[in-house]
Amino acid sequence: MDDPNTDVIQGTLDLLVLKTLSLGPLHGFGIARRVEQVSGGVFKVNPGSLLTALERLERAGWLDAEWRQTENSRRAKFYALTGAGKKQLAVETADWTRRSGAIARLLETEG
Amino acid sequence: MSLWRQLTHGLRNLMHPSARDQDVADEVEHYFEQAESELRLGGLSADDARRAARLEAGNRTVVKERVNSYGWENAVRCFTGDLRFAGRQLRKHPVFTVTATLTLALGIGANTAIFTVVQSVLLAPLPYRNADRLAVLDTHWTNSGHTTPRVTGPDAADVRDQTRSMEAVSLYNGGRLGVALRDHSAYTVVTLADANFWRVFGVQPAAGRLFTQADADRAAVVSAQFARDNFGSAQAALGQVVRVEGEPLEITGVLPEGFGFPSNTEVWEARSLLKSKWDARSAFNYKAVGLLRSGVSFAAAQTELDGLSERLKVAYPETNRNKQMVMEPLEKALTGDVRPTLLLLWATVGLILLIACVNVTHLQLVRSMERRREIAIRKALGSSRWQVMQPVMLESLLVSLMGGVAGVLLAVPAIRVLLAMAPKALPRVEEIHLNGWVLAFALGLAVLTAMVSSVLPALRAWRVDPAEALKQDASRGMSGQGAARLRDGLVIAEIAATFVLAMGAGLLLHTVLNLMGRDLGYQTRQLLVVDADAPAHTVQDGDRAVRQFNEIFSELRAVPGVERVAGIMGLPMGSYGSNGYYTVGGAGPVDVNRSPYANWSVASPGYFETMGIPMKQGRDFSAQDRFDSPFVAVISEALAKQSFGNTDPVGRQIQCGLDSDKWMTVIGVVGDVRQNSPAEMPGPTLYMPMAQHPFYANQIHVVLRTEVKPLTLMNAVQEKIAGVNPLIALRFTTMDAMVDQSMATERFRAALISSFAGVGLLLAMLGVYGTMAYSVAKRTFEIGIRMAFGAEKSAILRGVLEHAAKLACYGIAAGVALSLILTRLVTSMLAGVRPIDPVSLVSAALLLVLTAVTAALVPGWRATHVDPMVALRTE
Repeated sequence: MDDPNTDVIQGTLDLLVLKTLSLGPLHGFGIARRVEQVSGGVFKVNPGSLLTALERLERAGWLDAEWRQTENSRRAKFYALTGAGKKQLAVETADWTRRSGAIARLLETEG
Repeated sequence: MSLWRQLTHGLRNLMHPSARDQDVADEVEHYFEQAESELRLGGLSADDARRAARLEAGNRTVVKERVNSYGWENAVRCFTGDLRFAGRQLRKHPVFTVTATLTLALGIGANTAIFTVVQSVLLAPLPYRNADRLAVLDTHWTNSGHTTPRVTGPDAADVRDQTRSMEAVSLYNGGRLGVALRDHSAYTVVTLADANFWRVFGVQPAAGRLFTQADADRAAVVSAQFARDNFGSAQAALGQVVRVEGEPLEITGVLPEGFGFPSNTEVWEARSLLKSKWDARSAFNYKAVGLLRSGVSFAAAQTELDGLSERLKVAYPETNRNKQMVMEPLEKALTGDVRPTLLLLWATVGLILLIACVNVTHLQLVRSMERRREIAIRKALGSSRWQVMQPVMLESLLVSLMGGVAGVLLAVPAIRVLLAMAPKALPRVEEIHLNGWVLAFALGLAVLTAMVSSVLPALRAWRVDPAEALKQDASRGMSGQGAARLRDGLVIAEIAATFVLAMGAGLLLHTVLNLMGRDLGYQTRQLLVVDADAPAHTVQDGDRAVRQFNEIFSELRAVPGVERVAGIMGLPMGSYGSNGYYTVGGAGPVDVNRSPYANWSVASPGYFETMGIPMKQGRDFSAQDRFDSPFVAVISEALAKQSFGNTDPVGRQIQCGLDSDKWMTVIGVVGDVRQNSPAEMPGPTLYMPMAQHPFYANQIHVVLRTEVKPLTLMNAVQEKIAGVNPLIALRFTTMDAMVDQSMATERFRAALISSFAGVGLLLAMLGVYGTMAYSVAKRTFEIGIRMAFGAEKSAILRGVLEHAAKLACYGIAAGVALSLILTRLVTSMLAGVRPIDPVSLVSAALLLVLTAVTAALVPGWRATHVDPMVALRTE
């Protein structure tokens, strides 16, 4: 029996993360959970990819990271969108809309 | 911003790896905790929640690993890890490491030392402002094709006044002269220059002012060193008076440290720009330097000079018919003579480095044979090509870098030895020192050798077949014919390169031996030479100097131990001398295009006897040949043959432009001498009596034939001369030392190339030894079997030695072929030896066979002591 494919579409993880964080700061698991919930379970995020992507986005200057104490006095890393991150989100959103629109049109004419 | 974050994050992670690990661990831990607590909220037990989280998100360790491996700093960490591994490997194999490092240190050290000299002398710009626009003016003879590195005053003045491509032209001359200070006199290089000199070189004084045209014959500028040595400081030197050739000169300025053009001049005397009465278009009294206008090329300036030469040809057909004014860059004029020698040395050390590389390659190959198992396992586990080759290359890089550092450390004393050995004529010696360029060169060499010496081993590592390598027991020694052939090939290459070195050394040594054994035309032993500088400016001065010298000669003859005494301007190997065209009387119409050429000398009576130059015909000068009596001359055999053929030259007339155009009667013929060096062919010489050419009394060497060791008479001679005139500045040497000095370049070359050949030989010996020792060790099993079946010890020894001899022969054959091509390049440095010199060839070949066989003796001996029982049991 085949599981439905829940992999994040190649190259869109950054966009998903930026969009998720535009609603407010979150930690890694929070981001993963929200992507899963909002997508209605279509996308599942692998923690290895996610945390690496967060490090990458942070180094690119699109995210700021902050360590906070949790209730059970653990350290948790929270990420928030920076100004540059907001701009990047706009760019990637526009880009994605353009491309997905094109794909949708192609599929329609095919049909 | 993002670049900055990349950098700071990466650096922080590199610097505090444990903090980074902790952060990643905390974040991953938090992630899983959250996942589990969510699952528990959904109603799962703690254990089930853990299992489910793991199922969904994967293994924590893998996640941590994945996050941790992000970032550029990770590549750095991997690299340093590999480097540490390579370092540990090297420490575990000290024999390999030390041998390879020392081998490379020799190669890189020799290269660094020679490159230091090459860089400072040939490559670095001259230390003058506008160094690339400085030019030297020479006179080229279109009929004979030879170039005089001097100019006549009027010709140079025309260049100065009539060309547009030159910003400034300066005339100068001079040499080692006595400089009289208040209480003593010093022998130093004095340059007489016009005021343009400073414009050409763009020099600013460190103290005082430079002389101008108005200061002619009254002022002097001195070097910083001269001021310090004689007056204490630059300021103290200003206004002081020094006497050069008796003329008082006021020091107006002191130059900055480091300026000493030409040939480390210490005193520059102001001379007039105006033509002096001695100047003629036939008297080559000056050297000339010029500064090209910026933007003007040498070719364009030469074109303009050609035009000027044409005009002068028409205006002064008598003297300028065959003259062409030519210029060359100052840099080339200064260093042109040593260029071939330095390039030869450079090529030689390049060869040494090649041999060193071959040796290290060989060592690496042996190492990689031993690590076949390790490599095989790596490949079996799926390492990529790069991952298999990387450890080999990294080890090689480490060894090379260590070799490079050791090489630079070796080069420092080597340069000192080199400079101590270098001939005095080596230009720009004071500029030679280690610098950034040289260090960069050494580093480059190290990296290059690492690449060159690891290519073969790395490729072989790649080709290792894991199945084969793991099956095959290396100690059974049937491992690859290919590997053995490769090692043999390396040894052959090494021997060929060494043969070329030995051959070159043989040729140059043979040249030096030839020169030392040459008949110079005079006797050099027991001959004391005194540079005696007596000022003379007018005919009266000259006469007085001549009388004074006659007095000195007779005083010196009375010194016990002195056999004969004479004076000479134009002593062979000496610093003074003149030459030029002459004409012969009664030879029919003079063909100006084919004027004969000769060295000119001015001698006192008794000179030929003192020097041991044989009188072939006629008589020597005598006290009766005075200024007011008919002018006479003595000619050498080559001149007699050149101008008089088979007819008797005695009584014939001859004329030259030394200082008067009076006809001279030939009164005698003497043997030829080699004038400038033993390498030179004996040439025609025209001797004139000192009494009739008194101006040259101030450029005289006094020569004394002694019965005792010449230098023991130094004090007695000094006392006698000071008794006659204390103002004569003196310098002592012996003819043997002067001849020696004249061969300094040949000797330097031969000594250096020989020592390089020695290094090459040593390396080749190591190479042969290594190969033989390795193959004997690998064949222990085979040899054991042969011995068990009753093979003679001598047969086994012979087998090893024969193998070595065979390699040597192949190497020599290749070396001979290479030599045939390469030795042509040194033809100009040889004297009396042909490039294919059988003596050098045979001795180099013998030396190499001997070296190879000697190197194979120890492994061979070891082979004969293989105990069959032990060998067969070895596993």
